[in-house]
Amino acid sequence: MVIKMANSKTSEKKNNHLKYYFNYLLVGVFFLIFFILDMTMGLRTSTTQLLTKIAYSIILATSLNMIVGFLGELSLGHAGFMCVGAYIGCFCANFLHTVIPSPLIVLIIAMMIGGLVAALFGFLIGLPTLRLKGDYLAIATLAFGEIVRTIFKNLSAFGGAQGLPTKRYDKSLYIIAFLIVFITLFVIQNLKRSKHGRAIEAIRDNEIAARAMGINITYYKLIVFIIAAGFAGIAGVIYGHLVTPVANTFFSFNYSIEILVMVVLGGMGSITGSIIASTLLTFINVQLTTQLSGDMAALKYLIYALILIAMVLWNNAPALSNVREKVSLHHLLAWFNGKFSSKKPEKDSQTAVENAVYLKEEADWKKIPTKIPMDSILSTDIKPDRTTEADKPEKSSKQ
Amino acid sequence: MKRFQQFLTFALALTLCAFCFASCGGSKGNYTASNTEYFIGATGPLTGDVSSYGISVQNGAQLAIDEINANGGLNGTLFHFEMKDDQGGEEAAANGYTALYEAGMQLSIGSVTSGSCASFADHAKDDGILFITPSASAANVIAISDNAFRVCFGDPQQGTLSAETLSARYAKIGVIYDTSDPYSSGLYEAFDAKMVELGKVKDTDYIVRTFDKDSNKDFSTQVAALADAGCETIYLPIYYTEAGLIAKAAAAQGYDVPIFGNDGLDGVAAQLSSDVTASVEYITPFDVNATDEITSAFVSAYKAKYNTTPDQFAADGYDAVMILFAAMQKAGVSDVTLSASAMADLIRPVLTSADFSYTGLTGANMTWSKDGSCNKDAKIVKVQ
Amino acid sequence: MSTLINGLCLGGIFALIALGYTMVYGIAKMLNFAHGDIIMIGAYAIITTLSLSGNTIAAIIAAIIICTVLGILTERLAYRPLRGASPLAVLITAIGVSYLLQSIAQLIYGAQSIPVSIGSFGAVSVFGLSIPISSLITLALCVIIMTALTLFITKTKVGIAMLAVSEDRAAAQLMGVNVNMIITLTFAIGSALAAFASTFYLMQIPSATPTLGSMPGIKAFTASVIGGIGSIPGAMIGGILLGIIEKFALSIPALAPYTTAIEFSLLIIILLVKPTGILGKKRREKV
Repeated sequence: MVIKMANSKTSEKKNNHLKYYFNYLLVGVFFLIFFILDMTMGLRTSTTQLLTKIAYSIILATSLNMIVGFLGELSLGHAGFMCVGAYIGCFCANFLHTVIPSPLIVLIIAMMIGGLVAALFGFLIGLPTLRLKGDYLAIATLAFGEIVRTIFKNLSAFGGAQGLPTKRYDKSLYIIAFLIVFITLFVIQNLKRSKHGRAIEAIRDNEIAARAMGINITYYKLIVFIIAAGFAGIAGVIYGHLVTPVANTFFSFNYSIEILVMVVLGGMGSITGSIIASTLLTFINVQLTTQLSGDMAALKYLIYALILIAMVLWNNAPALSNVREKVSLHHLLAWFNGKFSSKKPEKDSQTAVENAVYLKEEADWKKIPTKIPMDSILSTDIKPDRTTEADKPEKSSKQ
Repeated sequence: MKRFQQFLTFALALTLCAFCFASCGGSKGNYTASNTEYFIGATGPLTGDVSSYGISVQNGAQLAIDEINANGGLNGTLFHFEMKDDQGGEEAAANGYTALYEAGMQLSIGSVTSGSCASFADHAKDDGILFITPSASAANVIAISDNAFRVCFGDPQQGTLSAETLSARYAKIGVIYDTSDPYSSGLYEAFDAKMVELGKVKDTDYIVRTFDKDSNKDFSTQVAALADAGCETIYLPIYYTEAGLIAKAAAAQGYDVPIFGNDGLDGVAAQLSSDVTASVEYITPFDVNATDEITSAFVSAYKAKYNTTPDQFAADGYDAVMILFAAMQKAGVSDVTLSASAMADLIRPVLTSADFSYTGLTGANMTWSKDGSCNKDAKIVKVQ
Repeated sequence: MSTLINGLCLGGIFALIALGYTMVYGIAKMLNFAHGDIIMIGAYAIITTLSLSGNTIAAIIAAIIICTVLGILTERLAYRPLRGASPLAVLITAIGVSYLLQSIAQLIYGAQSIPVSIGSFGAVSVFGLSIPISSLITLALCVIIMTALTLFITKTKVGIAMLAVSEDRAAAQLMGVNVNMIITLTFAIGSALAAFASTFYLMQIPSATPTLGSMPGIKAFTASVIGGIGSIPGAMIGGILLGIIEKFALSIPALAPYTTAIEFSLLIIILLVKPTGILGKKRREKV
């Protein structure tokens, strides 16, 4: 079914439409299952904790995906924006609790403040650093994240090394967190489909050409940076209402990397991928932490690292592409079709496999180039790189 | 990437199913109904930078459990101990806590580090579970609820005592502390407050230098600054790993003044090399070289099981479990399926009563105040 | 003045690590996040051989061999299968390798820090200031390695092949360069440098933990970016600059807690003034 749809142009359009709503559907179904379970038989605290964590991971991953996959710049400081949001938002919430009795209203105001302040930081850090490119921008954002963390660590108003004590929200925090996920998806997807979204994609694909077309590059880069930082800030506020005290160690550069891992595993530029990968990785991480106790705990990172390496190798290694092809869903579907369709099974499966190959090539064609200069350099295959030919940067200097 | 998404969707669907099954059932709160052993839980750093503390506490606590079980448990019912890894972080401590609570934890020895113990305590308060932390010394850890106790000294106690001891002995004191660590900064704040109270002036009577454990491990500058100022002693309200490095850095500069510290310094002896000639002293409730019967039995059992020398964390962990056991005995606990809050209501009056005291590795005749702090005598141990 | 000397000592170590970083980055074009952990493994290798044989030289040689083998192994198993894939995928396997090495070290040696004393060489007194000899050796070795690397890359056939691979991998392959071999060799050299770095790290900071490599790794990375990534003298300058800044910040009590922030702010400022680092050459963009 799916395969045949891809062949005709009209259904492809339909497919796009489906793709647009697919993310809402995915998150919606996921959320509803647990919501109904919660209403009927009640969820354990551990489940609601995990759900909240999944929700803010999705927010972080999709917003980082805006920068990495959508704008094509590498950012390693996402945890820094989250840190700003968590500290500022929860600081305000602590104050607001003395004025406003309803914790829900406090949470909403805190999220707005945390998000806005983080967005402001996104603007402040973006303005000077966005003229950097590739690895240099990456290390500058990493530096920013560590600077923010060091400053909060030493401000006694925010609790210093002890961390900022916060008031935890009750179990229903996950409902609000998932509402924020919907808002994030709404903003990001609509931005992507708008005129601005196309301008941003043009910047990613070829900055110079985009500039020549009259696109204001700084403006759009800043917009993406600000929005992504704002959502990271909101995720920080959610974190601060799930865990108390808010301490700086959580927002270390390792966490930025963890978010990046979610984005890359899910596929750069793919929002669906980010959602699924962040859910899966968060789930694996929490399960490894809570299931392994005592002496087994040391195995956690070992297992996590092996899963990570295996996943990346499996999905990206050029040498494995044949094996991947064999066990792919398309192939299985084709095999399934061949097995159970009554007429001319062989021929059917033949076309299905052809279609699968066609799809694969199409996917290659759509592969997203990034501004990271190593991207184009790294392809050893002699085939001309169809997508990045135009903006292949001049190679680095002699040693 | 498309293919990968499908693969992921598949995996997700599978985990989702598993997850659904795991998430329902027993959600109404009675997690201890099917317990066959008394369940004591804890979280602590078992991986990451501070994991040595967590591992020590776990080893000590497990040793205590083994000992109790070998002697037939409590009226024939055995004990079960489990520690979840929190990597010294707040979020993982919260996750670990819920996982333990839902697995039927009845009593707890809390968390090992101050930050995660604050998170642990916040959740424990909601469920009314009683815990006695072996090593989280920050003031806020036990302030949060009536069911929070601790075995070690609190930061204010030790910092004040250090200020008194040192200012009586030396005219000029050098301090190096870790700004990134709650334990260290808590101790320093108490020390600083007491010094001011004693009429001492910062930068003339005591010189303060700081470091950040996350990023600085080379202490030559800080030590040189204290040496230049002519400090007669170095006060180190930090943990032993960095203290060992500071002692070596001082020795390398030929600056051999006495080093003084708190219970975090326990274990420093193994970190020193032969070129460190300065005397090293610290306030601690536990002395691994003590010759009393209980300590030597513990040290030899620990060495036999884990093949290393126990440090103060291990002793605290051992004591924490033993204190809970003693309190349970005294309270006459007999129901193994007792819920956590019911257990707490039985144990709390016993722990805080005037006639309950416990003599263990980390102190003799320890008693507990209503606020959860432990009353015991400190001893100053001299390493060399 | 003593702060300056201490800064030079620390900077020497950063420079040594940064040399390895910049080498791998310059030729293989990948950020090897596991570089810091190779240093950690090197440190444990030194400790183990030192306790077995008691001979410092043997320990250092063993560390060099183990690190080199480890570098080649990780390249073969984790990075080579991904040649031709997205560079970010490689970045993630590097992170995976980093976690893997750390947990293996914890499983073998435990989390407790292990103290070590590699025969320190004492100190010399110059104008009333005592300078540890090990630091002098670190700095001298840095200069020697830097010169040797530069000569190796510009004068030998293999070195020129490395340059070619770094310039244009596909073209180099067409010209008959064995790209895989060259990249493996790069990793081998980078990891051998890491073993030197772990030796001098242990002389300065005499204890080892499984997470020993991560922060120096990040700082060395910062240093190589400050100096201009891909540039060998740049790595050295960046490392020493970073070491001195760190020590000066630490010597002022009011600034000391913010040392990390100051170092990274320096990085951002330098990048803003000179976006390719101090010695990095400007890359023109073509349409």
